[in-house]
Formats: sequence, C-alpha cells, structure tokens
Amino acid sequence: MRLLVAAALAATAVFLTACGGPMRPDELGRSVDTLTSSAAEGRLIAVDVARARTKDTFARVRARELGETVDHEAEKLTDATPRPEIASQKQEAIDLAERISEALGQIQTAPQDRAGAAQAAHTLGVLSERTDELSKGL
Amino acid sequence: VRFFLQIALGVIAAIGGFVDIGDLVFNAQAGATFGYSALWAVPVGVLGIIIFAEMSGRIVAISKKPNFQLVRERYSDSLATVTLVASLVLTVLTLGAELGGLGFLLNYFFDVSVSFFILVGFIVVAAAAYFLPFGGIERIFGYMGLALVVYLAASIKLDPQWSQIGNGFIPEVHDSALYWYFVVGLIAAALMPYEIYFYSSGAVEEQWDERDLRVNRANAIVGFGLGGIIAVSILVASAQVLLPHGISPDSIGTVALVGQVPYGEIGLILALVGMLFAVGGATIDTAFSAAYNLAQHQGWKWGKRLGWRDEPNFSLSLAGFALIGLMLAETGIDPISLTEYAVIFSIPVLPLTYLPILLVGGDKRVMGKHVNGPISKVLGWGYFGLICVLAVAAPILFVATNGGG
Repeated sequence: MRLLVAAALAATAVFLTACGGPMRPDELGRSVDTLTSSAAEGRLIAVDVARARTKDTFARVRARELGETVDHEAEKLTDATPRPEIASQKQEAIDLAERISEALGQIQTAPQDRAGAAQAAHTLGVLSERTDELSKGL
Repeated sequence: VRFFLQIALGVIAAIGGFVDIGDLVFNAQAGATFGYSALWAVPVGVLGIIIFAEMSGRIVAISKKPNFQLVRERYSDSLATVTLVASLVLTVLTLGAELGGLGFLLNYFFDVSVSFFILVGFIVVAAAAYFLPFGGIERIFGYMGLALVVYLAASIKLDPQWSQIGNGFIPEVHDSALYWYFVVGLIAAALMPYEIYFYSSGAVEEQWDERDLRVNRANAIVGFGLGGIIAVSILVASAQVLLPHGISPDSIGTVALVGQVPYGEIGLILALVGMLFAVGGATIDTAFSAAYNLAQHQGWKWGKRLGWRDEPNFSLSLAGFALIGLMLAETGIDPISLTEYAVIFSIPVLPLTYLPILLVGGDKRVMGKHVNGPISKVLGWGYFGLICVLAVAAPILFVATNGGG
C-alpha cells in the first residue's frame, strides 16, 4: 500500500514538474499558431463584411469570440516566463495579439461599416502573415 | 408507390439526420489540419454504421428486441451494468455538447447570449419531442438538416483538385500522432453508440416487422451512405477554405464560415440552418437514447408511442437526462472540447455496444432465415476487430496529442 502511495506521489510530482517551468519554444509556437488562426479567420470575415456578403450578427458574434480567444492567449503569454532564447519572440507575440484584438474589435463594434472592415481585413492579413513567420522561426 | 415513397422519405431523413456535432467538428478539423489525406477514414466509419444499423434494424424487425435488451440478455448483470453506466455517461456528455452547439448556432442569428439560447434551444427541442409524433421528429429535423448540402455545393464550386481528393481515399502511412487521432476521431464520429441505440429503439417505436426489412436496408445503406457524402464534403470544403489560411476550427462558427466563403450570406444561412437542425435532431436522439437504454436495461415499459402515464419511469428518466444535459451545457463548457471528449471516449464503449448485435444477428434460433449472411458476418466481425483496436488506440492518441491540440 505504501509503495502504491509513493508511486502515485512520484507520478504526481513528475506531472506537476512537466506542467511548470519556463515556457518552451513549442509552447510559444502553439500560442502563436492560435493567433495566426484567429487573425486569418478574422480576415475572411472582414473581407465578407467589406463586400456585404455576410450576416451582421454572425460577423459581430464571431469577431467577439475570436477577440476573446486572442485576449486569452495574450494573458497566458503575459503570465508565462519564457526561456531566455525566446523572450523577444514572446514579447512580439503579445504585441501582435494586442493588434489582432484591436482589428477584430473594429468588426465587432461596427459590422455594417464596409470601409472599416476593408481596413481591418488588410491589417489582419498582415498580422496573420507576421504571426505565421514568427511561428516558423521558433 | 406508397412503399417507394416510404423508402424515399426515410432515406432523405437519414441523409439529413446523419451529421451531428461530432461529425461537424472532426471533419472540419481534419480537413483544416491535414487537407484530404484523412478522407479515407470517413467511408470506413460510414460503412461500419451501415453494417451495424442494418443488423440492429433487422434484429428488431424479426425479434422485436432493441439494443439494450440484447445487452441485458447476452451479458452478465455486472457487465450489462458497466455497459449501461458507460453509455449513459457518454450519451449525456454528447447531449450536453449538442445543446451547447445549439446555443452557439442560435446566437449567430440573434446575438443575445449563448447561455440564453442554450435554454431556448432546449425548450424548442423539448416541445418538438413532446408534441410531434416519432416519425415527424425524425423527418422534420432530417429534411431541414439537408441544408448541409451547401457543403457539397461549396466543395465543388471551390474548384477542387479531384486527383488529390481521389488520393485522399487511399489510406497512407503517417508518422504524426495527430493525424491518427483525427483518423480515429473521424471513424468514431460516424460510429457513435447513441446512433445505434436510437436506430434500434426507433425501429421498435415504428413497430417494424418482417415487411420493413427493405425499408431498413434502404435507410441504412442509402441514407447513411449519402449522409456520409455530406460528411466528406464538410472535410473537403474545410480543406479548401481553412487549410490555405492556417485556420484551425475552434468553434462551430468556423465551420459555418466555410459555407459563407463561396456563397456569401445565403451560404452562411444554409450552413447555419443545416447545422441547427442536424444538431437539434441529434439533441433529441441523444436524450431519447439515454432514456431508452435505462428503461430497456431495467425492463420498464418505454417508448414515445405510449403515453407518459403508461410509462412514467421512461418519461421521468427522459426528462432527467435532458435536464442533466442542459445543466452541463449551461456550465459554459466549450461544446467543441466536450464533443472531442465524447467522441474519443465513446470508442472504448463501442465493442460493448456492438457485440450483442453481432451475436444475435448471427443466431439462427432468433433470426431464422434472416440470420447474418456471409458478407454481414465477415464485415461485422471485421469491424468488431477494428473497433477493438480503436478502443485501445483512442485514449493513447488522446494523451499523446494533448487532446488533439
């Protein structure tokens, strides 16, 4: 019985150790991939808002959901302590997340504003390309 | 003419009713992540559900025994109880995911709150289940679910590389655990156990007998087969729209967007309506399946065809499971994650669900001249072997891929 308890404690310790520690490049990469995906999807929505070929409520709700995903990712990145070799990439990811969130906010706030959506689509396109490059460099 | 009309109506309902939130999630994610290369897994899963649905419908038509009555008769008490508990947990998890999906889908139309629309969706499907006759439920949700054909039109309009799609139907060796996670998920999404519980109990509700064997065969083969084409087209269209942009579907809204890109607002609305009815129908199927299983295991009188006064235990358990599903959905848990858990962890339950069907379907004393023929036998036991392998592989792949992420 004691052996079993000891084994369970050891397994728990190993599990917790694996969960903690500084952020690794692959973990940062997964976060950045989420940003790429959110920005790219936001761009597709913004393009259709600009061409008046979507439903306002859908564009607004989906932009809000994407914005929440991006904000959550930015919070996780801010809280994480990165390994020294990826500290600058982590900071860049946070900056990109803030800009993606802002562009998504434009669609959420004014899904009828076609000119604003065209601008947001351009911005999100540039940002998704940048996050993609960042991810590939990790 | 009436006979062919009956077959045609059943087949159409089966096509529209084949897709549920599990198919939507796994097909879109697989297409967005691996393009067409996991396509082959869809027909593997669809053939499996055709085989077991046809067999279970035939068993009901001949012996009048639904799935969980077979479980009770063929298993020891303890194994039958384990099967019951596992199936109830997974069916209620799926029910929670479907209700959560309904909340998201309705909110895309009206933008109030997901939580509010989970409640609205619950009330609407509960009213449909209460007021509509059994066949009416199946057909209304099945017919409206046909709006999902927009994905087939989308995948053709987006000018696909047909040769690459053809290659996708050939299994390939892959060293990525994530690829195999999706393969297992695609097969499992087509073989969800609640589909068989509902199909066999539904056959009892509709009082099938030997004359309905042709209807059963047509529903299973043509209905599920063509339903599988919708599942394939969701994967193909997702590969065309999402993969080139690096978009990973994290919401049912992303799946709807796939319909919008080629067809604009009308494509979006068709996708949302199709998903709404497909998920709404699956919500009713899962709630009924849980109540059917418990009632059949306990030996209670059961069925929508009887009034609630005639089978109070069944009605109470149906209401209870529906409320548990509602509470689960209202916790705010992400329906996509819940779906992934429900699909992957349903796989270990599959052998327990399908073994009694194989045993009874092959039992000449019960089935007489309608016993499984050589093709049914070979395919049935072959698939049983496959799902046993998947039952072991699924939890391992789930851990290895960090839940597909």
